[in-house]
Amino acid sequence: MKLSIINGSPRGKGSNSKILTDQFRKGFCSVESHCDIREYFIKSATYSELINALESSDFAIIIFPLYTDAMPGIVKRFFEEFTNYHLKNHKLKLGFIVQSGFPEAIHSRYLEKYLDKLAKRLEIDYLGTAIKGGIEGIKIQPKWMTRKTMEMFYDLGQHMALDWELNNEIIKRLSTPELLSRFFIFMYRVIGKLGFTNFYWDQQLKKNNAFGNRFAQPYSKP
Amino acid sequence: MAKTYWMKITILNGNPYEDNKTFESYLDEVALALDDLGLDVITVTLRDKNIHSCTGCWGCWVKNPGECSIPDDSGEIRDKIIHSDLIIFASPLIMGFTSALLKILQDKLIPLLHPYLEIVNNEIHHQKRYDQYPGLALLFQPEPETDDEDIQIVTDIYHRFSINFKSELLFSKSVETPIEKLVNEIIHYQR
Repeated sequence: MKLSIINGSPRGKGSNSKILTDQFRKGFCSVESHCDIREYFIKSATYSELINALESSDFAIIIFPLYTDAMPGIVKRFFEEFTNYHLKNHKLKLGFIVQSGFPEAIHSRYLEKYLDKLAKRLEIDYLGTAIKGGIEGIKIQPKWMTRKTMEMFYDLGQHMALDWELNNEIIKRLSTPELLSRFFIFMYRVIGKLGFTNFYWDQQLKKNNAFGNRFAQPYSKP
Repeated sequence: MAKTYWMKITILNGNPYEDNKTFESYLDEVALALDDLGLDVITVTLRDKNIHSCTGCWGCWVKNPGECSIPDDSGEIRDKIIHSDLIIFASPLIMGFTSALLKILQDKLIPLLHPYLEIVNNEIHHQKRYDQYPGLALLFQPEPETDDEDIQIVTDIYHRFSINFKSELLFSKSVETPIEKLVNEIIHYQR
């Protein structure tokens, strides 16, 4: 069985999607001795390479971040290749992983419906879409903060090798929280008042000497 | 001049195909009809612009706040957008969604928002950078296979985008809508 992972992050190999993919791969390779996962990056691959990957795989997963409530523009441009090219590989099973900076899954649910319909348009089997929020910042977060997420992506890969599906139970765990709890909202507001919710951005603004300019409105008329 | 809430309207033409005359003619006629009513209408034809895809560098949030680090034509479009009362996202549907051309531009609207987050209607959303944002609308050309589900999906996604864009989606309509009806509705919408 051949599995291809297509990474649609505009950050390519330096993306958070790549970090999640690496965990998925570790889980997958813990079961599959051959560990035949091929990885492609929309940012740098040609469309013919990407289409060949889909044509020659039994399973494919397209992973990308949520950009302005949908797929990044470069991912949409790849999807548009299929207006001119009809996939011949009807045994292909296609799944998606959508990650975002927002903590709740609800932001990606509308795109999930599109991805489900896309698989139908392509006349291929749909493996489902795994949604994971709260991913922005995982590069700088301490291990204890990301451990659970990393374990879940490891499990997702492991189950892919065992059952050749995106395991529904793990998908469900990944998408938690679907909505914010009252407790989260209360705590977020309390922490927000103390200024800690902006820590991730403030740290980078300060590093770039841009903190004082953070509320700039470059298009405001004087 | 017609009495309307909207004085300045920017139409973002996301049609990648110059030979799609049906779509082009429709947009031209809508712009002309609105112009005849005395409104300030600008059509930005995105395929004639040099717009680089967002690279996810977040330079617009953490290096040069509010401005994209990549020099291209998206800056002049952001300027037009933030000074408009209404933005019409116009595009043929391609593989069930608005064009990549339009989506690439949409990704480049991120600098108009602030990286800080806030809770809006019990959800996390970005904070605004500007005091006011234009109303949003979607004008699409269906594909031969477009069904009601496709229209609902694309409309829902633009509705979600409007929440993050500190705005609201005022309408989502097909280019099969009679021009007089569309124009009449546009001038009567209010936020």
